Amino acid sequence: MNLAELPNRRVEAWKYSDLRAAAGGALPPARPSSPERESLAAFAREKGDVIGMLAAAHGRAERQNIVGKHEAVVGGRVDGFGARLEVLNVVRNAELTRVIIQNGDDIDLLSTHVRLAEGAKFRQFIISEGAKLARIETRVSIEGEGAEVELNGVYMCGERRHADFTSVVEHKAPGGTTRQLVKGVAAKGGRGVFQGKIVVAPHAQKTDARQYHHGMLLEDGAEIYAKPELMIHADDVQCAHGNTAGGLDERALFYMRARGVPEAEARALLIEAFLVEAIPDGLDAAIRDELTGRIGAWLRGARP
Amino acid sequence: MFDVKNLHVSVGGAEIIKGLTLHVPAGETHALMGPNGSGKSTLAYALSGRDNYDVTQGSATLDGEDLLSLAPEERAAKGLFLSFQYPVEIPGLSVIAFLKASVNAQRKTRGLDPMPAPELLKLMRAKAEALKIDQQMLKRPINVGFSGGEKKRFEALQMAVLEPRFAILDETDSGLDIDALRIVAENVNALRAPSRGMLVITHYQRLLDYIKPDRVHVLARGRIAASGGPELALELEREGYDKYLRAA
Repeated sequence: MNLAELPNRRVEAWKYSDLRAAAGGALPPARPSSPERESLAAFAREKGDVIGMLAAAHGRAERQNIVGKHEAVVGGRVDGFGARLEVLNVVRNAELTRVIIQNGDDIDLLSTHVRLAEGAKFRQFIISEGAKLARIETRVSIEGEGAEVELNGVYMCGERRHADFTSVVEHKAPGGTTRQLVKGVAAKGGRGVFQGKIVVAPHAQKTDARQYHHGMLLEDGAEIYAKPELMIHADDVQCAHGNTAGGLDERALFYMRARGVPEAEARALLIEAFLVEAIPDGLDAAIRDELTGRIGAWLRGARP
Repeated sequence: MFDVKNLHVSVGGAEIIKGLTLHVPAGETHALMGPNGSGKSTLAYALSGRDNYDVTQGSATLDGEDLLSLAPEERAAKGLFLSFQYPVEIPGLSVIAFLKASVNAQRKTRGLDPMPAPELLKLMRAKAEALKIDQQMLKRPINVGFSGGEKKRFEALQMAVLEPRFAILDETDSGLDIDALRIVAENVNALRAPSRGMLVITHYQRLLDYIKPDRVHVLARGRIAASGGPELALELEREGYDKYLRAA
């Protein structure tokens, strides 16, 4: 790919995350191709997945079958321009729990395509401190009956940090469930983006999908953009969604201060309480501790 | 102990408290009664230091120390406690975490080390038991899904754990059924001590059947319109606030 192909804010799917501007004229060198990467590049191109195309040409791209029950932590520091593509095929009754720790500084892009067979489960939790531009795209295709999806996440954007969570869940088979709860905070000069689409196909009856995004603007000059979309083409489904953006509850802040907790600590505790709600109960205790530790550290000043 | 002199409080530019003077000696519990809109809650918030409750004149001291120049958390660390009429819900923060933060923040401000976690937990459990609070409630997020009675019991639990020097109870009876009222009142009474003062704010006399005040004050139109013994509360119950509203 070349720079001119990078989407800018005039491209609808990227209107809150201007990749061309953020890249600022720097693409990493292309990697030598291989049949596997050629095939992934074609796959990404067919899906209109810019991150996937970049990953196939300049970054890391891989394809995996998930059989049985797996847990994965996706992390590792990305320096400079980083793009990754993962194509995951979760077979019948298999389960994947995946925690993404996004902590690059510059351009940090991850695109994941997940295909779920009958009874398969995919649970994902993202924690992101943003980057010059960080975007995590997750596309899930429910192709077998009774599959379950959980797509939670937390973003914390300090000054000049941008985090974008974009997801598309397509219910193409009956009886699937989707649970999505994303919470995020942005400080002055920070920007959080949530774009979440859920599509229920005409024959995907008995689908049960819930999507919530709650953003908190910590200071004047913070930005949070949300674009939730629910497209329901079946009639016997349960779908709910909610989206809010606001400031800290001043009544709660006074309540804590009246109990003796100094203002800065009261703020940190309240924001922490707000964010940790998105961490799923089912996660391994050590991972939970790691995630709450990261949230606590960020709130108490260890912001990148 | 607790002295308020010629206090004036404005909210959004409108003066609500208009020269209020009140003295509660150590060891005494006073009741502040008044009709809706008389400024009862405004007084409670202003004394605790809530933003936008502007004290334009007067003083408030606890054992001779000025309160009005202090932040809410500093007033709390000096031993001032406000039991909220409408306790706030905080999803995601457990009762245990909240109490732990409160106790240790106050200790820190007073120059004390944090209380060891097991000791603090034991203290919370014992106080919760006395208030007939289910131990499971300690793990729940603060006030989320609590009934009116549970919220007020939780306020009483905080007071029991924090052991303030002076407590203001703002409409503690609202939302309580008679059994919960009795339990909360018993626990408030158990906290009465020669060194501790309390100001019980209420609209109705009912609460004062359970928390017997040493003195009763009538608040009308931002001032103390009358003060007297416990019999004053009975008179108000019988005759209403009309005469004070007319006189004021």
